[in-house]
Amino acid sequence: MSDEDILRPAQELIQVFQRAKKSLRMYPANNPVYSKTIEDAFRRTDAFLLEYGDLELKFRQSEILLGEQVVYQSQDKEDNFAFFFFKDGVRELVFRRGLSSGELGEFLRAISFDFERDGEEEDIVTLLWERDFEHIKYVIDENFLLEDNVYEDQAIAHAKGEGADEPELKRIYGEILKDEGGPLQPEVAPVTKADLLELLKELERDSTSKLPKLTGMLFDFFRDAGPSECAEPVDLMIEVFEYCIKKDDLRSAVGLLSKASGPVAGAPDAALVKKELGRLFEFASSQKIVGMLGERLDTGEMFEAVFEEYVRHLDKSAVPSFISILGELKTIEARKRIINALVFLGGKDIQALVKGLSDPRWYVVRNIIYILRQIKDRSVIEYLVKTARHQDVRVRMEVLRAFGEFEGPGVLPALREALDDPEASIRMMAVRALGKLMSEPAKGIIVSRINGKGFIDLDFNEKKEYFEVLANWGGQETEEFLLRMLRTGSFFRKNKVAELRACAAYGLGLLGSRSALEHLEKLKKAKNRLLSDYSYRAIKRIEYGQQPGH
Amino acid sequence: MDSSRDIDRLSRDVVSQLAVIVRTSQLHDPRNVAVATSIEKFVAVANVIILEESSMDIEIVGEYFYLNGERVKFTMEHLLNFDFLQREFKKRALGSIKFRCEVSTADMQEFLTAFISCQFQAEPFEDLLLKTDGMRCISVGRLRRISEQSDVDMRKTVKRTYFNAVSFTRGVMNKIKIGERISMKKAKRVVETMVDTLLDKEEFLFGMTVIKNYDEYTFHHSVNVSILSVALGQRLGMDKKSLMELGLVALFHDIGKTVIPNEILNKPTVFDEHDWKVMARHPLFGVKLIFRMKSFDAASVRAAIVAYEHHIHPDGSGYPGIKALPELDLFSRIVAIADQYDAMTSSRVYARTPMTPDKALALMVKRVSSQLDPLLMKFFINLVGTYPVGTLVVLDTLELGVVSAANQADSMRPRVRVITDSGGNRIEPWVADLTKKNAGGMYLRSIRKTVDHNKYGINLAEYFL
Repeated sequence: MSDEDILRPAQELIQVFQRAKKSLRMYPANNPVYSKTIEDAFRRTDAFLLEYGDLELKFRQSEILLGEQVVYQSQDKEDNFAFFFFKDGVRELVFRRGLSSGELGEFLRAISFDFERDGEEEDIVTLLWERDFEHIKYVIDENFLLEDNVYEDQAIAHAKGEGADEPELKRIYGEILKDEGGPLQPEVAPVTKADLLELLKELERDSTSKLPKLTGMLFDFFRDAGPSECAEPVDLMIEVFEYCIKKDDLRSAVGLLSKASGPVAGAPDAALVKKELGRLFEFASSQKIVGMLGERLDTGEMFEAVFEEYVRHLDKSAVPSFISILGELKTIEARKRIINALVFLGGKDIQALVKGLSDPRWYVVRNIIYILRQIKDRSVIEYLVKTARHQDVRVRMEVLRAFGEFEGPGVLPALREALDDPEASIRMMAVRALGKLMSEPAKGIIVSRINGKGFIDLDFNEKKEYFEVLANWGGQETEEFLLRMLRTGSFFRKNKVAELRACAAYGLGLLGSRSALEHLEKLKKAKNRLLSDYSYRAIKRIEYGQQPGH
Repeated sequence: MDSSRDIDRLSRDVVSQLAVIVRTSQLHDPRNVAVATSIEKFVAVANVIILEESSMDIEIVGEYFYLNGERVKFTMEHLLNFDFLQREFKKRALGSIKFRCEVSTADMQEFLTAFISCQFQAEPFEDLLLKTDGMRCISVGRLRRISEQSDVDMRKTVKRTYFNAVSFTRGVMNKIKIGERISMKKAKRVVETMVDTLLDKEEFLFGMTVIKNYDEYTFHHSVNVSILSVALGQRLGMDKKSLMELGLVALFHDIGKTVIPNEILNKPTVFDEHDWKVMARHPLFGVKLIFRMKSFDAASVRAAIVAYEHHIHPDGSGYPGIKALPELDLFSRIVAIADQYDAMTSSRVYARTPMTPDKALALMVKRVSSQLDPLLMKFFINLVGTYPVGTLVVLDTLELGVVSAANQADSMRPRVRVITDSGGNRIEPWVADLTKKNAGGMYLRSIRKTVDHNKYGINLAEYFL
């Protein structure tokens, strides 16, 4: 086999590793692409090892060599596969026959580790070392670790030098023989099965998170510190809090907040305690932390209960951070959690929440309105009224939903205005909102619109919405109004008039108006199909409390 | 075989089952039905490997079993079996068992009969070799002394590892003193090398802890505590990653001392109350310094806990004073043992005359429960042996020697570096194995007594460097 025979497959295999490094960083472990990448890489590597034997790669700063031949070369500073290994001291990497898919998967996971994001204090050698591979070996340049080239010689000379004045052994030998000797040592008791069982329990206990212990320690420091020293333990707590979030350990972070929420036993100055620990809560509410949590929420891996507990520890100062993250989230589930959080936090500071109505992102504004609806604080009406003219139809729709739940100054004029909105869906929502208010002025607006010029020209469904809403009010006056509409006749625009009468029939059906039956029976035979159909349905509804065909 | 995990499991099963059949064969004849069932289990699992690999070689190197050249990684549940089998191998000076072909129950019964009976002979290995000579597919190899595996090169590697760790620690502590933020990255690499060295050449690296340096006490002490802690952690069955973390936190356990003023640290006279008060704050300073490192990770969390707790005793005594006694972290309790042992055997500012290793161990035994964890101390005593490395001994041959390696199989019979002849004349040091017997079955050498080397001004460093 010539060099050329192996060079090409080796180059290709390095490319496979490079691609896998990128893929594994890009996709989460539960993504099919992730596992397929490892499977493909293993298939290629296994085939190579079977065909050509062990793969022994040597690393230089910008080159990878197979024997003396260059199989990879790059001068790139950022994306350089050779330098990636070289910079941490790797000089040789050997893949041996017998390599398993699991081992290669671990190797690829190690090289795809995001050092900047997940661990500045790691390097590739440590990651390979921890994995203790059987079929992947590497050679490290030991000089990488040498702190001081001359220290060893000096230290040895020093240690041996101490014996320069060592007395002649022969001279002291006699004294040594006469020495009564050290304490009699007992024979070592061997480790028993009971010891091992106890050790197993010990190791099991040890596998739990160490963060609660550390936070407990920090609280001890804080409690014992004098007024001039108590800021430092809180600084450390803040650091630990951030670390917990980075490591997806929200439970420990919440534990820290719980501890800080409770009374600090033995602390002399309550005001100082509150002020200092307040910094921890401020940090927990910061955009930085909420942003990090938002990213985790998007992965769907965070427990709802823990997140809710975290939110319960925060105060109104967290609202802006939460509003900010609301627009960044990618998943509905994550948005739901942030919305729920804002429903809780926003109640503590409505003003902070309504600031979100000015957010340039329509979906954020819509979510804020939804949150305001959940909070049900009537003081927000004036802000909602201002938002009723929002340029985005989806926002306007949400405002109208809110209006349907609140009545207050400015709501009726805003709803009246919305009845003329260019969007039919908005107009119909405004009608429904008026209906929900169930107030006389709202009813007045509906009736006046029905009687108004131009109403007849509205789309049938839109007209029908008015009559449905009106019917929901009930009462004799409404019934009479609808009966009048049912009897309306005209020689002109017969179809449009028939639509109006069909709407009235529909309304009377909803009302269950028995006095309308006689007239409806006649209209059942009307030439106009729509009118006859709606009359028939109304009769059935009145008689049987149901609508046939619906 | 499809995965490395399967190979790991099979290898562990083979060694573990071998331990089981050796143990049961000590109680019953190998042809007994009870033993035969266990043998069949061994044969079944062994033949899976033999068929796959054509042969199977179980070898013991240092403190580890290797199967066809690959180290057998054991878990806690196998620790007792592995430990037992290791002792049985070493008792017989047996280094390896080679299975050249598919093995049968009858083959194993024949082998076990030879294996059990040879331990009562003066030269057990020679006896076993003779009895297995004609066997169909099993042969044995003598225990290879580490010194046979290029002793000089290993010593070089070990010295380099040790002094580089000391030099690194000195560098780190000096950087901290001048307010530099340090990184754990390189510390991890230094400790990884120490762990590897310890796993491969435990007795050599362990021997290095005998070297003390009064002027650079803190640096040597930090490294020694790290080595002793890792060695103990390894006995507890910890994996490599945990050993690295343990070594790392042990290396930084006294980091808080870097901010203690030099006039206190190096005070030539007895410490007064104020001095002790300042010294007692070094655990707290340690925590703060660990937080000041370049970044904070899992190792930092553990390092901070150990820096804080390593002087708090299980009975609540020690320092810093605490209102409620926490359950001390496992690493803190390990480091506390290593710390006490190395401190007591070193010359320090506030205790100029160091104790001999055996005396220190005896004192530590008295502190069990109140100051030191009883279970961990038991493992520690098993680690260092009755005569710890660095103990000056007089042999019954009237030769002087220094214990150079413990003997797991028989703690009373360590390996001793002999430094004088029977007349007290200095000789070129050589290592005596105290388990060796003469033709009559009598031990060639035994320890008569231990002696305090400090009392006679004997510098042990030269025998370990």
